[in-house]
Amino acid sequence: MQERIVTITNRLGLHARAAARLVRRAGQFTSDVELVSEDTGETADGKSILSVLLLAASRGTRLTLRTTGEDEERAADEIVELIEQKFGEEVSDGVF
Amino acid sequence: MGSSSLTRSRDVKLRGIAASPGVAVGRVLRLDERGRHQFYYIGVSTAQVRMEIRRLREALEEGRARLREFKVRLARELGYEHSFILDAHLLMLEDERLVAELEHDIRTRRVNAEWAVRAVTDRAIEAYKNVSDPYLRERASDLEDVATRLLTILSGKDEFELSKLDQDVIIVAKNIWPSTVAELDFNHVLGFATNSGGLTSHTAIIARALGIPAVVGLREVTRYAKTGNAIVIDGAEGEIILRPTRSVVKDYSLKRARDEKRRARPQTEPASAAETLDGVRITLRANVELSTEIESLARFGAEGIGLYRSEFMFLNRLPELPSEDEQYAVYRKLAEATGEAGANIRVFDLGGDKLTLEGFEQENNPALGLRAIRLSLKVEHIFRTQLRAVLRANLHGRLRVVLPLISTITELRDAKRIIAEVKQEMAEAGVDHNAALPIGVMIEVPAAAMMADLFAREADFLSIGTNDLIQYILAVDRANENVAHLYQPFHPAVLRTLAHLVRVAETEQVQLELCGEMAADPLQAIALIGLGIRTLSLVPASIPLVKNAIRSVELERVRSMMQEAMKLPSASEVEELLARELPRQAPRFFAAWPSQP
Repeated sequence: MQERIVTITNRLGLHARAAARLVRRAGQFTSDVELVSEDTGETADGKSILSVLLLAASRGTRLTLRTTGEDEERAADEIVELIEQKFGEEVSDGVF
Repeated sequence: MGSSSLTRSRDVKLRGIAASPGVAVGRVLRLDERGRHQFYYIGVSTAQVRMEIRRLREALEEGRARLREFKVRLARELGYEHSFILDAHLLMLEDERLVAELEHDIRTRRVNAEWAVRAVTDRAIEAYKNVSDPYLRERASDLEDVATRLLTILSGKDEFELSKLDQDVIIVAKNIWPSTVAELDFNHVLGFATNSGGLTSHTAIIARALGIPAVVGLREVTRYAKTGNAIVIDGAEGEIILRPTRSVVKDYSLKRARDEKRRARPQTEPASAAETLDGVRITLRANVELSTEIESLARFGAEGIGLYRSEFMFLNRLPELPSEDEQYAVYRKLAEATGEAGANIRVFDLGGDKLTLEGFEQENNPALGLRAIRLSLKVEHIFRTQLRAVLRANLHGRLRVVLPLISTITELRDAKRIIAEVKQEMAEAGVDHNAALPIGVMIEVPAAAMMADLFAREADFLSIGTNDLIQYILAVDRANENVAHLYQPFHPAVLRTLAHLVRVAETEQVQLELCGEMAADPLQAIALIGLGIRTLSLVPASIPLVKNAIRSVELERVRSMMQEAMKLPSASEVEELLARELPRQAPRFFAAWPSQP
């Protein structure tokens, strides 16, 4: 199992589009992906958008990311990267 | 007046934000009613459970198929970036947890699929509503959107099948979701009126891109408007009138008919030049804020971009700043899209009432405070980053920069010094760029207008920003209802200032452009060319209308009309003169132009 701590830094938090990206990315791996909000202690299945949305992680929320499975290391790396790059949001908002 | 009477009374006027110009007269279609299906709790037998689960699965599959289709359509018609939201909706329908929970609900509680969908999504929506972050709390509507879609499919009837509207409608909704827009049959949508939203809301952006009149930010329109009600939308004024009386409908129908005749379909003649009857060529450029507008430039016949409001890049991201590379990508897109015609990048006009940077306090009097160039010179690294991005992107076209809110020559000199330094640093570091970057001064402070000759000698061009200039000349905040009537574009002080600027530009042989809402109003645009302005920059959707106005007049006659106008002591007398004179000069366009301000 891989465990990483990440902070949501994009301004709007884990809203629908960001969550969609996260879930799509998580879905590329066979490993289980789990996110735990340090604020609420709630756990989300990283492959379920509903579950991720219900974490309601706003900007500044710290999350523990756990990946378990064959490709756990790569999964953890790539998901952390996506979060740290703020979900590529800046270029996709319809506003420059 | 109580709300109950407002839902019935005639001529209910609501003010919102003018999001997309044009007049529409028609019937209301309340979009959010679409989802209010009657659905019932039906207890089912064990045998029927399998049947309900099959219905659910089929509905999910159909929902996914439709969303995929909409996603493609939205990406094609409005650009890739709009389609992301649909991906979230699609993922919800693909969400194994959601599907499992729905099936579980049907199985264990032995209910019909509709009931399960409602119950399960309501639980999720409820949980979402308890979130403390207001933005995220809003996202409950995504879930509602998805639930609605499923219920619509399950109920087997699309009461309002949006892609097959058989009559023209004006869409009234709290907010219009991209997924909804993707479904709309644009040929039957005359306009939009929404409770929420600002100039950069999806509704506004989409309406402008499509050239459909829209008023947003009406706050309570959904409380008063019912499907089938008559409604008038004035997208230029930001006004709607519900259940208008016959005379009001008549007035606006006339206005719309005139508008339409003048506007010509945007596609029809974008190529024809904006030339007066006596052969004087006027350049019409576009004011641009958003990426989606770039694609509409050609459609509306814009000759390059006269004003790119670069601070809009910050909108969704403050306090984070766009990186140099991100900005470069945007400026390059502008440069490539405008080619020879070029694009004016107004450097960040932040602060004041617009957008604030972290670390800067709210000011008591923001309009007169630390904003625009004042802020750029104070937080120089932001300015320098922007300049580097512009200089690099300038390799791909003809960019120019415009400095907003200049009031002293020192500001211009400081900005020029910084630009020179940035160029030198880039040259020394071997960074590819195009240093041929003309620098313009925005004339929007009366001090700058009075000193225009001095600025003309040190800048490459002048650009008049009428919105701020008028506010500062007349000391009127036009957003303040108590004094909005004093915001008068035809005020003699404004006309004298404009005439002065034209004279200076001629004497000093410097290029003069004008941007601002005046340029988008046909009457005011004609007045401006009569004063001697030759380049106007305006919202792209208004270009065809203003172009047709220009093509209907003779510049010589308009000029002498404005010479008369300059002698008049009040804005209302100027308006009266124009309203009397223009229909005579250009009956084809101005006949029966309303004489009211």
